[in-house]
Amino acid sequence: MENGYDITGRLVSIQRCSVHDGPGIRTTVFVKGCQLDCAWCHNPESIAFEEEEFFYPEKCIHCGKCAEGCYAGAREKCGREMSVSQVMEEVLQDRPYYGDEGGITISGGEPLCQAEFTGALLDACRSEGISTGMESNLCVPETLIKDVLPKLDMLMADCKFWSPELHEKWTGRSNVSIIKNFAAAAAAGVPIIMRTPVIGGINDDEDEIGKIAEFAASLPTLKYYELLAYHPLGVGKAEALGKKQERFSTPSGEKMKRLAEIAAGCGIEVLINSKRYTND
Amino acid sequence: MIEVRPMLTYEERMKLLHDKKVQHTFEKRKQQGYTDADDYGTVPVPEEYHFEPVAYSIEGGLYGAMVNALNFAAIMDAHPVYVDPLEIMCGRWRKMLTEYRERSATGTWNKAKYPYDELVPWHKKYGIVCGIGSDSHCAPDFTIGLELGFGGLLEKIARYKEINPGHDEFYDAERICVEAIQRTIDRHVEEIKHQLETEERPELRETLEMMLHANENIRDKAPQTFLEACQWMCWYNVATRIYDRDGAGCQLDVILLPYYERDVAAGILSDDLARFILADLMLIETHYYQISGVDENDRDQTNKLSYLILEAAHWLNSSANVTVRMHPNVDREFLKKAVSYLFIDKMAWPRFCGDNGLVDGFMKNRGVDKATARSRIAVGCNWMAVPGREFPMNDCVKINIAKVFEVAYDEMMAENAEPSTRDLMDRFSKHLKLAVEKTAEGISFHLAHQHDVMPELIINLMMQDTIEKGEDITQCAQVKTVGLDGAGLAVVADSFAALEQRVETDKVLTWDKVYEAVKSDFTCEDGERIRMMLQSSPRYCGGDTIADQWARRITDVWSDYVTNQPMEADRQLIPGWFSWSNTIMFGEMVGATPNGRHAHKPISHGANPNPGFRKDGAVTAQANGIARVQPGYGNTAPLQLEFDPRMSMEEGGLDRVLDILEAHVNMGGTLININILDGKKLMEANENPDLHPDLVVRVTGFTAYFISLSPEFRQLVVDRFLDGM
Repeated sequence: MENGYDITGRLVSIQRCSVHDGPGIRTTVFVKGCQLDCAWCHNPESIAFEEEEFFYPEKCIHCGKCAEGCYAGAREKCGREMSVSQVMEEVLQDRPYYGDEGGITISGGEPLCQAEFTGALLDACRSEGISTGMESNLCVPETLIKDVLPKLDMLMADCKFWSPELHEKWTGRSNVSIIKNFAAAAAAGVPIIMRTPVIGGINDDEDEIGKIAEFAASLPTLKYYELLAYHPLGVGKAEALGKKQERFSTPSGEKMKRLAEIAAGCGIEVLINSKRYTND
Repeated sequence: MIEVRPMLTYEERMKLLHDKKVQHTFEKRKQQGYTDADDYGTVPVPEEYHFEPVAYSIEGGLYGAMVNALNFAAIMDAHPVYVDPLEIMCGRWRKMLTEYRERSATGTWNKAKYPYDELVPWHKKYGIVCGIGSDSHCAPDFTIGLELGFGGLLEKIARYKEINPGHDEFYDAERICVEAIQRTIDRHVEEIKHQLETEERPELRETLEMMLHANENIRDKAPQTFLEACQWMCWYNVATRIYDRDGAGCQLDVILLPYYERDVAAGILSDDLARFILADLMLIETHYYQISGVDENDRDQTNKLSYLILEAAHWLNSSANVTVRMHPNVDREFLKKAVSYLFIDKMAWPRFCGDNGLVDGFMKNRGVDKATARSRIAVGCNWMAVPGREFPMNDCVKINIAKVFEVAYDEMMAENAEPSTRDLMDRFSKHLKLAVEKTAEGISFHLAHQHDVMPELIINLMMQDTIEKGEDITQCAQVKTVGLDGAGLAVVADSFAALEQRVETDKVLTWDKVYEAVKSDFTCEDGERIRMMLQSSPRYCGGDTIADQWARRITDVWSDYVTNQPMEADRQLIPGWFSWSNTIMFGEMVGATPNGRHAHKPISHGANPNPGFRKDGAVTAQANGIARVQPGYGNTAPLQLEFDPRMSMEEGGLDRVLDILEAHVNMGGTLININILDGKKLMEANENPDLHPDLVVRVTGFTAYFISLSPEFRQLVVDRFLDGM
């Protein structure tokens, strides 16, 4: 097949009609595999590159025929190979709904861990006139990000900590390349949505958020900065994968507003959990 | 010491009226029990109310023009007056004549005179709601009544009685009905005068005076002002409800515009007052109105009143049956405002209909031009009608295709040693065709005799050719289309798909094994596992799955048979997919089905997919699936959506909802019903409805107070909500 349509990627899932992965109605392609290991990851099934299996004991009907396939939803495979062509078949079904703002978001996992597939999928969308977005951790070599930036209409990325040490402690890697790649994306003119998952007792620190917001304000292509309160969705999913994930605390609404106030003080637009923050 | 009370604003008065309506809902449930139907805007029945029919036909029921006219006059006379000084218009109803027709020893249909015993076995075999004896479900042309007034209607009746000898009973019956409405107005005029003697609040005195003058003026004369036009509509709506539950309104923003513009220019109407009058109109009666859309030349007809109607419905903050007509030429800002009220009020209004699908579809019927198709407006639960010219029986006639499937499946398993989905489809098609034929016979039978059983005496007043010819609208409708809905599409499509997937493609089940499981309601050995295997097959609305393909194939067959069914008197049947609230009753007729549905459980709702149709519940997949099963002749296959109220508060949330609606109608979608439900509130209300007496939900095409629904219907709404989250 031409134009990279036969290149395959390993995916967790495709979520159609997504409303939390960028502007408008979006189709979000979750790739499998990530080089970070954030302690609170809400998609723990997207960390490992290998195929995995969820087990939900409450759905088991005890038919004793697991080996012949589970149809009750108790055992569910996670991870499948799909070609760009197959992904596009699903994406195109959502196209009528994209309006002026919507489109595709490649998320994960880390899309740039499957850079060839991600690039080919972005090309395919561009050739169909579909607006492209990518949600990346940006913790990749600059050359990798520079290749993909021209294919993007929007970049979503987390800035989880300002401190490189804390970043490494909680995600397994330093944020030095992340900061650089934010700047590279801005220099390339790509609109940026910066986000910070706010984890109670970990990074819900006014000074930390203030520094991140200052940096966000320095990016000329920033669309907005979003604070996302921690939720424990990943704990249950990790358990279903046979893994253990620590449960953190969710910052209070007051705390989120205070952090948003500080961020907004840097002169940027701030959202809390998808809702625009205003100080009235 | 003189007490100085602040003047009540119109908006404050509507808030008080809203609270009173909630109290009425409590009282009505005590009186009536669960109704599982529209909130009609009725008020509780006072203890002193008493009515018994005053005339019966020789067969024992309420049959024939004169019997119905006399009983209508008597029930109108028996209705207590209802004047509330908080309002600016008056009139309300409590009981409909239909109840007494149903209650009579021989029921609504004159079976002694017009038996149809030979059709009954077919109705049972295929789960047919035959429509014989059904009434209304057409659209009056309000311009006729508003131009003539009640006095003008009486003159018209007298004039044509002279011209058409031999139709005396018809004309006398029509006259008796109009005079009964006038007497009711007279009694209200006296009550308003009586209240004016004691009312002290100046702002209430002022509007009571306006109410008095409006009613005095419209008793005979055609309405001249915005208030008079609305009060006239209130009386007509109350009368037509009492006669036979008819709830069809009109294109409200266009019909009322000349009155609005005239009064504003004359300096006698402010927007605040107009809003109050419109809110009162919707409080007094819950008729279905369409607003916005385009005219026959595709020009946006959204006007100032379109906005005021939305704002008035917001003031009322209750169930408002307002449908917004969507077309690419309609101002997006208006549509966005309409969408915003879904989220602000969370009362399941407005809903939206798609012009392109409706107009292009209706023009496929014989002899229908664009102007006629465009004039066909949304004035009912799921349906449209051409005002004054069509008697479409929409929403009255249905075939339970899940039952038809069951007949075909049983027949195949009994006769064919080598079953296949192909053979099953052939047999299903054969039985569907037969079901359509037998349904068509019933429709023709009904339309041949209904004028003699129960003529549409109130609707006839505002239809074309009725008074002119001395005929009931069932005899003389100019537009000859009649609606026929299928119900259970998702059950049948998913059943075909599950059989194809698990038996023919995967070969993990055999035909015999599935049949044994289905017939045992999945209680046989491995029954639950087999059910799971079937249920986890690709589903309708899953995203161009094999079930979506089956749904389209079934739709093609359905449309073909319905539209090509020969009919008497040059009539044409037009297909739709709609269940109304028959999902429970239809489900009870059908045993377990190969989509994993348990025996006698409800069938799927309208054109919607079965719950759990897709893991991510993607609305876009659902909207695509339903857009592609539009039967395509001008009737609807509605998209029923449930949204989380938080969506509107999110950045770009309203635009996202509008993007979904626009895409669906651009693909040919015809009708979109939306519930915005606060999950916590819904769950609390399901446990104890009395906790939230003001909660309004859209059940199917109609809205209802949650408190008025039976536990089974409440659960249906809850299940759909959980599936949409």
